Amino acid sequence: MRGHAHLVAGYIPGRSPLHRWPLWLKACLLLATAVLCLASPAVSVAAGAAITTAVLLFVVAGHALAGLPWARLGRAVKLMWIFLVLIGAYQWWQHGGLVAWQVVGAIVATVLAANILTATTPVDELLDGLAAVVRPLERVGADPERFSLTVALMLRSIPFVIGAFSDVREAARARGLERNLLARSLPVVIATVGYARATGEALSARGLGDPDLPGDPGFPEDPDFPGS
Amino acid sequence: MKPRTDSAQDRGAPAGTSIVLAGAGVTIDPADPAAAGPKTILRPLDLELSDRRIAVIGANGSGKSTLLRLLNGLVLPSTGSVQVNGLDTSRDGAAVRRTVGFVFTDPISQLVMPTPLEDVELSLRRLRLPKRERRRLAMELLESHGLAHLGSNSIYELSGGERQMVALATVLAVEPAILVLDEPSTLLDLRNTRMLRELLAGLPQQVILSTHDLDLAASCGRVLVVDDGGIAFDGPPAAAVDRYRALAG
Repeated sequence: MRGHAHLVAGYIPGRSPLHRWPLWLKACLLLATAVLCLASPAVSVAAGAAITTAVLLFVVAGHALAGLPWARLGRAVKLMWIFLVLIGAYQWWQHGGLVAWQVVGAIVATVLAANILTATTPVDELLDGLAAVVRPLERVGADPERFSLTVALMLRSIPFVIGAFSDVREAARARGLERNLLARSLPVVIATVGYARATGEALSARGLGDPDLPGDPGFPEDPDFPGS
Repeated sequence: MKPRTDSAQDRGAPAGTSIVLAGAGVTIDPADPAAAGPKTILRPLDLELSDRRIAVIGANGSGKSTLLRLLNGLVLPSTGSVQVNGLDTSRDGAAVRRTVGFVFTDPISQLVMPTPLEDVELSLRRLRLPKRERRRLAMELLESHGLAHLGSNSIYELSGGERQMVALATVLAVEPAILVLDEPSTLLDLRNTRMLRELLAGLPQQVILSTHDLDLAASCGRVLVVDDGGIAFDGPPAAAVDRYRALAG
């Protein structure tokens, strides 16, 4: 089951310009992608569709510039195709083809942009970035390390759950239970809970997420996030 | 995997490490409300574990893993106490976990990050080093264990033996004074078991491990035989193995 976990959301080492860009720049571009896609329809439906199309092309070009495999792009879309079809059909029925294209295009562009960010940034760097963003909230009791670790674990868990669904579906099919909803869902829940328990135990054993002890060093300055 | 010989390892050397169990027992409340009282997993134990190499052997379900989990606070005693170098596992959990590194039977449970390099870096985050320094140290550590070529591989692409060695490296990265391993050779073939044994023999840390590999147990100076939640024997390996065989019938 866990063998599926490398399928999505992982870092792919490389020497492309996007691999070399600092995390803050990639995060800003991701934010810009989402804002442009979400805000552009406010101008007009036609402008929204045109801008979303341009952003989507820009993101696909970014994927190519990063030297990422096309199979990864296809996988990211494949994972959400049912959702895209349903939402696209609803929008078409309610508001017409242009709006449907804008909504679906916006989702795809944003997901692919996020995919590029995770594929070109080592997880450790992501943790540093998240911790740096949350660090100002330390004064009000937030724990930046715990926050960034939580997000990293969430990223790690998504492909596991996808893999669990895939494996359980195959196991149900092998037993002739492919139409049995219980046989296709209950094992996923059990596997996911077991996975969460094992991960929690492993983190606990390594002392990850433990509070600081007296005498622990402070955080160093992060060159990617000046002022952190 | 080569034993580390750098100064970092010397800093991790135990200086009279000691774990003391004083009446430490573990019980759990049964899931069945009709059951009569709590179920005993580990009967109250009085032990002092200060030898450099200690093995714990016993049948499946005898309480070996629970005993090991008591040592770094993963399981807290229902009765009595467990002290690690004077630190109580119930009160000083965070400090105890920094003293006692724990390696699980299935390394995939232990490896949190996508690649070995990132996982070692995760261990090193506690040192609050700048990013470049952390990455350099992580690479150095993997190199010293002969694992540098696997640094950027997905942990799912590694063999069972490689994963176990990486899991061990991630724990050794923060130089615990005591290393506890729960059946570390169960998923390994003969070659990897031999490599693991050689590595453990070269470590400066106090090592406490549970195993079904009687050769590995025999390489330790002291062996505990656990049976039915209690210590059935505590002594030299040859006599312990004889006792274990007698218990197994």
